Amino acid sequence: MARVRMLMTAGAATLAALIGAWPAAAQNKPSLTVGAIYVGSVNDYGYNRAMKDGLMEMQKNIPGTKLIEAENVPETAESERIMEGMIQQGAKLIFATSFGHQQFAFNLAKTHPDVVFEHAGGWMQAPNFGNFFGATQAAWYAMGVAAGKMTKSNTLGFVVGVPIGFAIGNVNAFEMGARSVNPKAQTRVVVTGGWADKPKEVAATNALIDQGADVLTMHVDSPATVVQAAESRAAYSIGFQSIEARQLAPKGWLTGLGFTWGPFMTATANSVIAGTFKPAMVRQGLGEAMMAVAPFGAAVPGDVRELVTAAADKIGKGFNPFTGPITDNTGVIRIRDGESWDGSKMGEFDWYVEGVIGKAR
Amino acid sequence: MNATLLAGVLSSSILSGTSLLYGTLGELIGERAGIVNLGLEGIMLIGAAVGIAATALTGNPYLGIVAAALAGAAANLIFAYVVIGCRANQLAAGLSLMFFGFGVSALVGRPFVGAVIAGLPRLRIPGLGGGSAGGVGARLLEYDILICLAVPTAILMWWLLFRTRWGLGLRAVGESPSVAYAAGRRPERLQYQALGLGGVLGGIAGAHLSVALTLTWAEGMTAGRGFIAIALVIFAKWNPLWAIAGALLFGGAEGLQLQLQAAGADVSPFLMNMIPYLLTLLVLVLWRWNRQSAAPAALGRTFVGVE
Repeated sequence: MARVRMLMTAGAATLAALIGAWPAAAQNKPSLTVGAIYVGSVNDYGYNRAMKDGLMEMQKNIPGTKLIEAENVPETAESERIMEGMIQQGAKLIFATSFGHQQFAFNLAKTHPDVVFEHAGGWMQAPNFGNFFGATQAAWYAMGVAAGKMTKSNTLGFVVGVPIGFAIGNVNAFEMGARSVNPKAQTRVVVTGGWADKPKEVAATNALIDQGADVLTMHVDSPATVVQAAESRAAYSIGFQSIEARQLAPKGWLTGLGFTWGPFMTATANSVIAGTFKPAMVRQGLGEAMMAVAPFGAAVPGDVRELVTAAADKIGKGFNPFTGPITDNTGVIRIRDGESWDGSKMGEFDWYVEGVIGKAR
Repeated sequence: MNATLLAGVLSSSILSGTSLLYGTLGELIGERAGIVNLGLEGIMLIGAAVGIAATALTGNPYLGIVAAALAGAAANLIFAYVVIGCRANQLAAGLSLMFFGFGVSALVGRPFVGAVIAGLPRLRIPGLGGGSAGGVGARLLEYDILICLAVPTAILMWWLLFRTRWGLGLRAVGESPSVAYAAGRRPERLQYQALGLGGVLGGIAGAHLSVALTLTWAEGMTAGRGFIAIALVIFAKWNPLWAIAGALLFGGAEGLQLQLQAAGADVSPFLMNMIPYLLTLLVLVLWRWNRQSAAPAALGRTFVGVE
């Protein structure tokens, strides 16, 4: 009995010591307040969720960082007011995570030279304003490998929100990856006309499955709708944006491509703490861990997993699928032999590669 | 057009036409009582958000539908109070209701973005639904309860409007409230009833999109379907039976353009996405020749009472 009491006393003393020591320890560490604005909800299993996950990883890597967040921030002057409020609460680093937030963040960068801004997807530069994004197109090649191996009908379905160059590039790399392992694989594309018209995403998924597609993927804001619609019709699915959508399709989930912003956000926060921040236009992919292949679903056999992982490694080491000769789906040579398209050309696609069934314009 | 394409268009016209039909019927009954409700889009959004919220909280999609119907009715009765009780302008009040619906649904739906729900179950006709789970044939035979009840609802509404004393009174109010009043009817009470019922249907229309079709919530997910439903009321000449055809036609046009894209038709996807709207315009133009007295005569007018 006495022994127990002694242990308890010792335990309490240790606890008290820890509590006493904690604030002192925290004061010794440099603490940084980070602001983040999201265009949607962070529970979307998609783009915004990926941003949130990156910031959580940053916070874990650098204990003592404080995070101020705002969801559903429109791409209007409203976003400037919200970021201004974050600065007043002490934010020294702000992540403006949607394309349309760029100008508003840039305005604030001019009036607040002591605050560092990082914008996702843009091009503007200032001493305290950098931008970053994932190099998605090449990485889609690995998804194509998974789809090409898993399809039985040799027909893949791709739901595209709006056929901008970047999205078409994703489709093209996907088809080329599929063909690299299955020369008969074709990709059918359906455009819904919006990034989040969910009822139409369901109808588009159904239409693709009706036309024979047995592996479905998408480039829309959130993969949740297409993944669930494919699952309900016993088709396979491949996700995009966040790697967390797999729980929505326990049977049909193959894999997915997600943004993993954590390492970049951690490095940026560390450079701000150390006072060494330098603006850059950062475009990184699988090789730099800004993108990652999602965990495989139960349906994917070991040999396919190996092939996909090998393809992802190859891309990570610099393999560029957009190396000529590449013919479009009308037979015109678009990238000549010996020529290759790098990251700066990814917005320029207005044609689909051979094997894609669809019109880009 | 091959059989797969036809079956695909048919099944997707039924799937996406269902929500439109409920929405159209909801608008139609209000307009029959003389009240234009441009806020239907907002009512549908509230239905979609409340439907998913209640389904996620209770785990029961049927309760989700009921909650959505009640929420739609409540929101439409606020509108009713503004335009009947306070005699506000119907068009302005309707547009305000739409924005109100956007806001309320965003607020209600926010915690449920990304919620995983069990959708409205598909019912199998005993002895028929033998096809494979993913097949087109199975899709033509497996429908949720709201799809099964959509056409009967339209027929019931037709019967109520054209074969009952209550419906006669309601239509009389839409044609001339003062005459109806003189005949011993109470125009305002009938209008409240019509809008309450319209709200129930509008809420169900939204809930079908979120709880049965997509199993997800996103802000503004109705994407203009409320306004298409308002146009379909005109197409249907304020007749619930014609509304069935209108909803199927529009749902089919959307299904057709997506099926054609999937089949690899040589048409720009931008043009494809315009097909349902071009069709709506075309139909409204063609309908012009037969305009005799389809619209309720007192539609949009404010009844200020009889001295």
